[in-house]
Amino acid sequence: MILYICSPHMQAPFSYRIREQQLWLSPERCIFWEEEKALILSDLHFGKTGHFRKSGIAVPPSVYKEDLHRLLAQIQYFQPRQLLIVGDLFHSRENNELDLFRRWRDDLSGVDVRLIKGNHDILEEDWYKDAGIEVHKEHLEQGAFGFIHDITEYTHCSSYCFSGHIHPGIWISGMGRQSLRFPCFYFGETYAVLPAFSRFTGTAAIDPPPGSNVFVILPPEPEEKTHIPRGRGRTASIAPPSAASRRRAGTILQIQ
Amino acid sequence: MNMLLQDTNGYKVISDWLSAEGRRPFAFQEETWTHIIKERSGLVNAPTGCGKTFSVFLGALIDFIDRHPEDYKTKGGNGLQLLWVSPLRALAKDIGRAMEEVIGQLGMRWQIGIRNGDTDMSERQKQKRRMPEVLIITPESLHLLLAQKAYPEVFRSLRIIAVDEWHELLGSKRGVQVELAISRIIGLKEGKCSIIGISATIGNLDQAREVLLAPLRSINAEFFTVRANIHKPIDVESILPEEIEKYPWAGHLGLKLIHRVTPILEHSRTTLIFINTRGMAERWYQSLLDVNPDLAGAIALHHGSVDMALRNWVEEALHEGKLKAVVSTASLDLGVDFRPVETVVQVGSPKGVARFLQRAGRSGHQPGEVSKIFFLPTHSLELMEAAALKSAMDMGLIESREPMLLCFDVLIQYLGTLAISEGFYPAQLFTELRSTYCYADMTEDEWNEILHFITAGGAALHQYDEFKKVEVMPDGLFKINSRRIAMRHRLHIGTIVSDAMLKVRFVTGGYIGVIEEYFISRLSPGDVFTLAGRNLEFVMIKDMTALVRKSSAKKAIVPSWNGGRMPLSANLGMMLRKKLDEAAEMLHGGIPRDIELQVLHPLFELQSALSYMPRENELLIEQIETKDGYHLFAYPFEGRLVHEAMAALLAYRISRHTPISFSFAMNDYGFELLSDQPIPVDDSNVYELFSPDDLTADIQRSVNSAEMARRKFRDIAVIGGLIFQGYPGEHKKTRHLQSSASLLFNVFSEYDPDNLLIRQAYNEVMDQQMEEVRLRNMLERIQKGQIVLRWPQKLTPFCFPLKVDSMREDLSSEKLEDRVRKMQAQLR
Repeated sequence: MILYICSPHMQAPFSYRIREQQLWLSPERCIFWEEEKALILSDLHFGKTGHFRKSGIAVPPSVYKEDLHRLLAQIQYFQPRQLLIVGDLFHSRENNELDLFRRWRDDLSGVDVRLIKGNHDILEEDWYKDAGIEVHKEHLEQGAFGFIHDITEYTHCSSYCFSGHIHPGIWISGMGRQSLRFPCFYFGETYAVLPAFSRFTGTAAIDPPPGSNVFVILPPEPEEKTHIPRGRGRTASIAPPSAASRRRAGTILQIQ
Repeated sequence: MNMLLQDTNGYKVISDWLSAEGRRPFAFQEETWTHIIKERSGLVNAPTGCGKTFSVFLGALIDFIDRHPEDYKTKGGNGLQLLWVSPLRALAKDIGRAMEEVIGQLGMRWQIGIRNGDTDMSERQKQKRRMPEVLIITPESLHLLLAQKAYPEVFRSLRIIAVDEWHELLGSKRGVQVELAISRIIGLKEGKCSIIGISATIGNLDQAREVLLAPLRSINAEFFTVRANIHKPIDVESILPEEIEKYPWAGHLGLKLIHRVTPILEHSRTTLIFINTRGMAERWYQSLLDVNPDLAGAIALHHGSVDMALRNWVEEALHEGKLKAVVSTASLDLGVDFRPVETVVQVGSPKGVARFLQRAGRSGHQPGEVSKIFFLPTHSLELMEAAALKSAMDMGLIESREPMLLCFDVLIQYLGTLAISEGFYPAQLFTELRSTYCYADMTEDEWNEILHFITAGGAALHQYDEFKKVEVMPDGLFKINSRRIAMRHRLHIGTIVSDAMLKVRFVTGGYIGVIEEYFISRLSPGDVFTLAGRNLEFVMIKDMTALVRKSSAKKAIVPSWNGGRMPLSANLGMMLRKKLDEAAEMLHGGIPRDIELQVLHPLFELQSALSYMPRENELLIEQIETKDGYHLFAYPFEGRLVHEAMAALLAYRISRHTPISFSFAMNDYGFELLSDQPIPVDDSNVYELFSPDDLTADIQRSVNSAEMARRKFRDIAVIGGLIFQGYPGEHKKTRHLQSSASLLFNVFSEYDPDNLLIRQAYNEVMDQQMEEVRLRNMLERIQKGQIVLRWPQKLTPFCFPLKVDSMREDLSSEKLEDRVRKMQAQLR
């Protein structure tokens, strides 16, 4: 089965109603909650590339900058009043990348930021306060919904809960007996799990029970690969697909 | 100096000692000694178990005695004289023991040291204070030596670098490690050191020598090659099934013939049973015990995932003749000889002539004895391979080992190694690196890119960036100053061979072995699998360890390890096509000399009746319709990797004209395309579809090269230091630095696609995965010959193994067996 579906409107958010609330699922891995004008996000892991690089592991630093840009673009598109972050906003302790975040945050003083703490959020209380981030230790109830980082640690949800933590993904089988895993939104009967917002995160395969709704975020189909015969080594080489073709946002596909 | 070897003091001492032992030097040993005393470099071509160690070691002693004729016996603390690089840790002990014996009997004061992953801290410290005269070392530990401060001191007195089993190292990244270390030592000593490689016979022996000695090219033009020319007769006997299955399928026949192995075990003191995959080895071990319960305790299992201590025990027991049989994978291919071994059984295709010879050579070590090897086919068609192997052996048709080129991952690791000890100056090192075979063609741009990668993390200068690894000192020295980074790098050296492996432990403690992460990631808690001959229930993964408990379950999943899926070699493929030709001739009344072909007569007859028996210059393509859809089978006999690429290429080329989708299957003999609509291949377009024109471009469009590159990237990321495995006992603190190779591959592909490690992954796909050169040769061969198209009414003996393989994916082995029986019944 081939599941690469690409439409010209692929960047458009996907409408989804639950508990009589209007949600918009964005292929940029976040949800806009229309009634509350809130952008719901999870697992941004800001500062992760910086920690790697400081330890001599040369991951490209542009991942982080692009994550910030994507978030800004989503804010400009949906015009939310608030960000509801269900944990792991930051990856670890302070580093220079968090200074960049602070500057970025200062430019967006009109938007409230509410963080439900995740296991990675280990900064000092004062740091969050100075950055204008309202911190909730365990969970938050707001309007029709509840918010929590790790759903398995909180069983007495009274309202429909949004969570993160596991970075959910789904195996999709494609051509030639290969299967690939893609990030997804999961909507169960009593709770939802968001995909990790950061591009520098892996996914954990989930096995959705019947009755749940899963929205898979498929990457855009790569353009025809260009090749540069380098004439090095024994054979010419294949050039990896160009950055531009890979970095477009994906498509959302629903599996029921 | 024109001195005859026989006139030297050293020779007299050594030959006196040998004759006192009742032995005489072999001609090739004397020849090598002559070269050694003349300080020449070169290659000794000799198989295991014929005195190759002494050809170099005794030469080094002669050289030493000559230089110290008066006090050679009393002179100790001479510093390192002979560096002995060996690919296997297991070899070190035995070689060291043999050397120490000689030293003892000569009454000399040389010390023999061993240095590898098993060497403990106190021993290392002792070596640091006083280097032994001989150091037996693995490539990884040699790099660790280069990571020590003041390492140039160690090599000051060094006379000879010997590289044992060079044929095994060549063609791997560990071979590249050896190339690099040698270039450094030769650079330090300004060429004043001999290099001697010891290699079994391979197809490209001259090239093997060139690769090893490359750093000496500019200094010393004259290299030697000494051939042992020791001919050891090999007797190959196929185990012929009582009844030839006309519809063969892989994997199944082997175990059915297990009762034929019992008498072989009875008639031989010790037998080695070689099996291609660890999974099948586990099953064979179990089945042998089921058939012969009295063998319990007298047979053992040996493969790469079995705990090291257990493997050592097995090897020890083999030496002492305590074991009746050992079921093994390639893990016992190498190494010293086990004298008690009288017989070898090869189960299934050995995939290549060289490997078959190597395995056969593991038996019959007493002088004048014959190496006895039985070939046990896992499906009837495989019997052809026994015939092909015999002919290839007669013709001396042995595979080449292609050296690896421009491995940037290994280079990045090496630069880190030098940066933590003495540091390096790039301009000087660049010249040294280009003296190696692997990096001879490295451009200045590539070199600068690598330096940028290790000093600036490959990114443009940025105020928020805190990248830190190699620092450039004010005098231009490249150095790692951070102790943490240095310590981590040391732990990293030596990770070259590993796949992503997880340790397997009991929940209650107790180590069992290691297993590929890939396999474990597909298990759910509660699943039962076998490892090291035990049934284990998977509980959970914790800190890179799979926790298990004992299980009494009858059924268990046998891990399918990634290793062991070596493709059929080009040489063996060619011989198979020749044998097929003889078989076709047989149907026209010829009588083949091989019993295997005669036995297969009914199968070939059926193939001919239903379809066609291809001749040597013909490619047979069969198109068959079944209830599964429309099949196209082709049989180039070029090995599974080439077939995989060819299947994708053909599918792509067909779909360019007609929109159609396929699924693929392949084995070492051919491949299958399956579609739900008729496949438009006939005489009008078939040559075009198999054309070598536009091959490179078409491959890139047809295969999912990104997925293949992702798999290759795993090793590259580990070697290149991108995967952080953590310090022992320090898992918690470093968890925030862990990531998977697959994630890194995504991130790099997306944000830094021109990164040189990503480029290397794609290059490795083309060179190793696609075997592009071989694919092109195949297409050119096909163009010169004939393509024969047939439309059989039902499945043929040739296509049957492929058809079964393609069903294997979605069925458990039990259900598969039922299905195959039914299919066989329908076809009768």
